[in-house]
Amino acid sequence: MKTKVSQILSLGALALSANFGTAQAADATVKVGVLHSLSGTMAISETSLRDILLFTFDEINAQGGVLGKKIEPVIVDGASNWPLFAEKAKQLLEQDKVAVTFGCWTSVSRKSVLPVYEKNNGLLFYPVQYEGEEESQNVAYTAEAVNQQATPAVDYYLAEGKKKFYLLGSDYVYPQTTNLVLLEYLLSKGVKLENIGGGFRKDDSGKIISAGKYTPFGHTDYQQIVAEIKQFAASGNACVISTLNGDTNVPFFKEYAASGLTAETCPVVSFSISEDEFRGLPAKQLVGQLGCWTYFQSINTPANKKFVAGFQAWLKKTSVPGVVKEGRVTCSPMVLSYVGVYLWKAAVEKAGSFEIDKVRAAYKSGLSFDGPAGKVTTQKNMHVTKNVFIGETKADGQFKIVKSFENVYGEPWLKGKF
Amino acid sequence: MMNNLTRWVRLALRLTLLHGSIALAAETPRQLIVRATLAADAATQRAALAELMGQADTAIAPLLEAWRTDALFIFTTPEGIKIPVLISGEKTAAGTATASRLTDGLPLTDAQGNPLVLTVADLAPVEHNASLRRAMKAVLDLADLAATEPEKRIKAISTIGLTQDVEKLPAFRARLKIETDGAVNRALREAIALAQLKNPLPAAQLAALNELQALRSLASTDFLKRALKEFEEAKDPTLAAAARAALAAVDEHRASVDFFGTLFRGLSLGSILLVAALGLAITFGLMRVINMAHGEMIAVGAYTTYLVQAMFGSGLTIPCFGFSLPIFGLNLTGPAYQAYFIAALPCSFLAAALVGIALERSVIRFLYRRPLESLLATWGVSLVMQQGLRLMFGANNVQVASPTYLSGNWLINDVILGWNRVFVIGFAIVIVFGMGLVLTKTSLGLLIRASMQNPTMAACMGVRTPRVNMLTFGLGSGLAGLAGAFLSQIGNVGPSLGQGYIIDSFMVVVVGGVGSIGGTILSAFGIGGIDQVLQQYLPYVAPGLNWVPGIGGFLQNLAQDAAVFGKILVLAGIILFLQWKPAGLFPTRSRSLED
Repeated sequence: MKTKVSQILSLGALALSANFGTAQAADATVKVGVLHSLSGTMAISETSLRDILLFTFDEINAQGGVLGKKIEPVIVDGASNWPLFAEKAKQLLEQDKVAVTFGCWTSVSRKSVLPVYEKNNGLLFYPVQYEGEEESQNVAYTAEAVNQQATPAVDYYLAEGKKKFYLLGSDYVYPQTTNLVLLEYLLSKGVKLENIGGGFRKDDSGKIISAGKYTPFGHTDYQQIVAEIKQFAASGNACVISTLNGDTNVPFFKEYAASGLTAETCPVVSFSISEDEFRGLPAKQLVGQLGCWTYFQSINTPANKKFVAGFQAWLKKTSVPGVVKEGRVTCSPMVLSYVGVYLWKAAVEKAGSFEIDKVRAAYKSGLSFDGPAGKVTTQKNMHVTKNVFIGETKADGQFKIVKSFENVYGEPWLKGKF
Repeated sequence: MMNNLTRWVRLALRLTLLHGSIALAAETPRQLIVRATLAADAATQRAALAELMGQADTAIAPLLEAWRTDALFIFTTPEGIKIPVLISGEKTAAGTATASRLTDGLPLTDAQGNPLVLTVADLAPVEHNASLRRAMKAVLDLADLAATEPEKRIKAISTIGLTQDVEKLPAFRARLKIETDGAVNRALREAIALAQLKNPLPAAQLAALNELQALRSLASTDFLKRALKEFEEAKDPTLAAAARAALAAVDEHRASVDFFGTLFRGLSLGSILLVAALGLAITFGLMRVINMAHGEMIAVGAYTTYLVQAMFGSGLTIPCFGFSLPIFGLNLTGPAYQAYFIAALPCSFLAAALVGIALERSVIRFLYRRPLESLLATWGVSLVMQQGLRLMFGANNVQVASPTYLSGNWLINDVILGWNRVFVIGFAIVIVFGMGLVLTKTSLGLLIRASMQNPTMAACMGVRTPRVNMLTFGLGSGLAGLAGAFLSQIGNVGPSLGQGYIIDSFMVVVVGGVGSIGGTILSAFGIGGIDQVLQQYLPYVAPGLNWVPGIGGFLQNLAQDAAVFGKILVLAGIILFLQWKPAGLFPTRSRSLED
């Protein structure tokens, strides 16, 4: 028994030393972590981000890499399992010693890896719209903050003359927090409490702790909620703000269309439907409804056309296993991943080093990158300033841009700001 | 001197202003539209469109329609003058076409008077967004006042009615005199009353309030509340009382709409549960096979619907375990394509039935006396089938479009009856009767009942029980397939579709009493109805839950989340019910010792 243990130990030591050996030999590369779910429920969304990251690394490597070093991706699978995300993050930081990590989609996965990154002083680039109320020195949030998605959408509605707002979402942290911020914002804009639909939950002192109507993941029966919206919208000038996630949008929009509500009588702005999600939704029933993101594939600029064409060309020739090649689109989280890599590259080049503290200082100094959706600038608070667009969905799964807001500052702390 | 100069300037200014206003007043609809297309910002565009309201020019509708459908373009002359044009001729293969000017509708010509040929791709289309389209709609709405279809008229009237636009009153009153359709009449009266609320004369306001009270119009709620507040502030007791009475009438009407709406939604949810569970009532209820793959039979039906849709459309290629399997398409359009759903019903029944029969022959027939093994085996089969569907059709959901005859609704006394829901209810009734007939009136039904009640005796009497078992399992699976076809109209079609329904199906069958089809029906409608009642009325109960010691506030908040809390209450209720009646609503009585 004893010999067995020692055998295993020596084997492990051997593996470790072998690992060190390769690290020494591959001096001309820099290891970069990719931490996304490649299996499980979130895989549908997150594999797209893995693909775009690999495309970006190839693009940068073709131009000579970062500080003369080629990027060597270390891809790990979080498997839609939040504790596993933390374990994989630990592996990336302690074992693979990556210079930076690009990863996470859901807020809960980010919250679960956060202590690991703070303990090991790592750097994580996070690309997906989130609820704010967080500002870690170890996370670079290229994601849309609430004021880069939700409040511009409200501004658009108010300019359209909307007076009644119905809040609807999936029951988890992002919709709950976003709707609370929106409630404050709407009240600050003079919208009366009785004109905000979906219901409120209060604590013992009578303070509102949650606003809006929530349904669990996988909910299929939206009859009652749609009937309620129909009555809510009966007097006109009403709209819906939806943070429904994933495939619950299908039964919701089918019911919505069947009840006779349309984008012209009561539009719905959805914060979780991008071009990528659109592929699994009934396009006909969504036409005219709104989306609000910091990127749309339909943006008509040379930079975006080049980006889209480059990604499609990469998809054709790539030999990475598991990459779906047909019917691919680009969407905001993908572009924010892409932009994140370039911002990291710029920070490293400015710092002249891969050392986290120096890279962070450079990142905070206000770097700019001209991405597919226009200029993106880093901020002191680890977030980024970027353009925001509002688009109407079309039958072909793309968005027609109806309004854009230039250079919106990313502000994570919004509660009590209005 | 200086004084003189300023006077001149002032005069000149006044003259240009005067001139401007004359020009504005004399602008023809065409000129207004030209101005709107060239304006830089949406607000000016909306204002220009608003002036078109009520103008009876035949040019308006086609031009706005062209704008809405992206057929208006701006042509910039070499001198830099912008001319809005309407592409008039057919587009050639090279993408060029002739155009007509918006200003006068005449063909666009060059200096020599020859028609200009434009390359469409080079022109800038005139942009539009939702608010502009709404403004255009408002213009077209008044034109729709004389539309031949009553629905169009009602839509037009209600849209304008909500704007409380006093200027539209003459048009409405004129229409009211000649209107013969009852529903349109009602909409007109509502729109007039809403606009009259804005009338400064108290008598007109009182008449409007009384009218709204008589109409019990749901749309007027917000307007009535606002009016009531104004009257209370103005200390006008008669008007305030009238407004309160009108609001009370509307609220009473809403309560009845909620009640009947809940009833309908309960029926529809009950039907869905019933359709989903009916197959299980046979495979589990009659045959006592704990069939965990029931959900996947539903998914097979849903995917068959998807395949039939693809065959009626443009075909499909599915990667099938390394090979790609082309499905040819009939390329149908219009009503023929829409009929795909009718064709999909028997197909999904057959497909699921065949899968069921294959499952029975290969696995289940060896496990008839061993329920626990059959549970594990069918669970394994369900995982295999899910992964199989994922490999064939991808992990993403697939899109099943709703045919037009299932995507509208009836509005009866303000209760929405969606056609897809009405269809599910009707369909549930049809298959329940159909199945009842098969089981009681056909020889197959007789054999099924005999084999299920006492297989040994049936076999002694010469019944080929293995064959009957196979057919029964096929029938149950086929019914699950039919359920899948229906659920594709209501929710997602994805590899894990069945998982969402398996628990509900077992719940329905167990509560109804295993082996009793009648019990399954009653429990499906009972569970569906109670769920919808709780969803509808829990938020009303919520404020009253404060008295519960300790957890009052918590309950109050929970009751706001009626969709979740309702389900929890239903589950808790079922647990208690099964404590009281472990064999369900209608326990099957039997003389055999094992029961």
